[in-house]
Amino acid sequence: MGVAAVDPSEYIDRVRGEPVTEYLVYLPVLFLVATSVLLLMSQNWRLCVLALAVQYLAAFWLVALIWPVGLAAVKLVAGWMAGSLIGAAQPERELLDDHFKSKAGRMLRVIAALVILLVSYTLVPAVQEWIPGTTAIVWGGILLIGMGVLQLGMTTLTLRVFFGLLTIVTGFEVLYAVVEYSVLVTGFLAFINLGLALVCAYLLAAPEMQEDAG
Amino acid sequence: MNAALVWIAIPLAVAVLLWFMQQRCIFSLLTAASTSLVLAVLAWLLPIDNAIRLGPVSLEITSAFNILGRSFVITSGDSRLLVMIFLLGAVFFSTGLGLRVNRFFAPLGMAMIALLVAALAVEPFLFSALLIEMAVLVSVPILSPPGRPVGKGVLRYIIFQTLALPFILFAGWVFGGVEINPSDTRLLVQSVVLLGFGFAFWLAVFPLYTWIPLLAEEVSSFVAGFVFSLLPVVILFLALQFFNGFPWLWEYPVLHDALRLLGVLMAATGGMWAIFERNLNRLLGYAVIIENGYALLALSLAEPASLDLFAMMFLPRLVALWLWSSALAILADGGSLTFQETAGLMRRKPFAAVALLVACFSIGGLPLLAGLSTRLSLLESVSVASFSFVLWAALGSVGLLFGGGRILSYMVLSEGKWQSQESWIQRGFLSAGALILLLMGVFPGWLLPIMSSLLAAFERLR
Repeated sequence: MGVAAVDPSEYIDRVRGEPVTEYLVYLPVLFLVATSVLLLMSQNWRLCVLALAVQYLAAFWLVALIWPVGLAAVKLVAGWMAGSLIGAAQPERELLDDHFKSKAGRMLRVIAALVILLVSYTLVPAVQEWIPGTTAIVWGGILLIGMGVLQLGMTTLTLRVFFGLLTIVTGFEVLYAVVEYSVLVTGFLAFINLGLALVCAYLLAAPEMQEDAG
Repeated sequence: MNAALVWIAIPLAVAVLLWFMQQRCIFSLLTAASTSLVLAVLAWLLPIDNAIRLGPVSLEITSAFNILGRSFVITSGDSRLLVMIFLLGAVFFSTGLGLRVNRFFAPLGMAMIALLVAALAVEPFLFSALLIEMAVLVSVPILSPPGRPVGKGVLRYIIFQTLALPFILFAGWVFGGVEINPSDTRLLVQSVVLLGFGFAFWLAVFPLYTWIPLLAEEVSSFVAGFVFSLLPVVILFLALQFFNGFPWLWEYPVLHDALRLLGVLMAATGGMWAIFERNLNRLLGYAVIIENGYALLALSLAEPASLDLFAMMFLPRLVALWLWSSALAILADGGSLTFQETAGLMRRKPFAAVALLVACFSIGGLPLLAGLSTRLSLLESVSVASFSFVLWAALGSVGLLFGGGRILSYMVLSEGKWQSQESWIQRGFLSAGALILLLMGVFPGWLLPIMSSLLAAFERLR
């Protein structure tokens, strides 16, 4: 809070106390850009689940810059479990009747994603005034939140809504890791990721399940 | 023995047990209802942090339960709130016996109650955001049962409730900074804004309430009534806990102005939409919005008397919502009902029709019904601050009364034989609910003052 932003040249691996090569720090952000755009664009659920898994890997990478790897790995494991829960529902047709599958629709999504990318980058210094994280971490967090909100704003499909929510929660977790270091909060957030994925899998399967009294 | 064990772990354990017995719906509902009732009675009778002697055995229920450096604290001041929550659960679960409810209702409803009680008990408060999110996720299978397509309302409900989480957690972090440096006005504003957004998402404050009527239309009105009764009430008390824990926030003048404006906007817009609404389920949603608006209005006055009103409003609200949602579930047979489809229902299902109208008129504030006395007192207090606010807030009540009048006009249409298609159980609880609303309206000084004891845990606000 109110702490000056860290100079990009001062990236230090806080666990090992060694300097981190600068481009390596931005590599997970690049992954986040690629995966969040893929989640927004792809009509293939397998590819989307894979992108979600890589997104969690990149988020873990960013969090591991400031947290012990063991604790940061909770986010990775929870995220991958969330991905596998969604994958287990095998949502074959869930992304097919999408409103934006035409060429123009795809272009609109790409442009919107680019706008989010630019806006998130320009917001970094302002957010760093408040959350004392490095540029890569703050950018990664804002980018994920922005892409998640975009995803939510462009769809009413269950699977995409949950991809959006999981993306927002992951972005928040990256930012929150800067200010809160707590085993219990990490555990609860892991539960929430799993809970969201479980609810997603349930909602995907529920229409096909046997109807009951209610 | 520990209070968290009794009122959090036991209902959670019962929920897990009932999950494996979900096919035995009647047994599940009976177990959930009786457990809730027993827990409500225990909350009423058992002293916390005071030993009681049971023959040769001495039993003490301690207030705090520590886990991983955090605590779940339930004090004697919280006992009345626990009574209300578990009694609400008992009423809904036992009513479920007379209605067609989905098999998840008893186990997940019980889990939802346990998680919400945990959210009220956890310290530091930021953990409550995580527990409420869990309660929301647990409620999804109740709202969207197997065999039915997923509606937009359910998705919006999950989205809006999940979006509250980051705001509340960040607010918790900034609050820590304000405690250390109370003179930093920038931090002060940041914390209030973050907390405000978090609660706005949670409570579906204007204009974030679109999911409420949508959800009410899509899902069984009975389970919607359960969620609408339980969730906002717990969140409103959580807000009181925040204010009680951070007195500087309660004294922050902008907060009360914002609460007043939002409360009036919710009541007024809810009432306006209710005038034009043509679906009974959606009207229930607008009634919830109007009630939440009035609750915010009561909080905005920040006086001991208005806080008493805030607490007193809960009993008429909860009884009316329970009665409305139960009656609507009977009338609509678990589905959605438009005004046109209600034609002749007064003759075919007179008990449910009258109960629904009584509930609607009570929330609207019709004389001789439960909602009127607290409404009038509240509007009188608001008039001291601004008379125009009174007019706008009253529009909410007028809109709902108008909606109720339209339902009545449709229900009495068509001619036919008078016959009651409700079962005896249904007739029993519908009559009891309507009678309670009438009695509370005729004798407002009888039951309502008891509700002031809900505020026993919030001494700093009084």
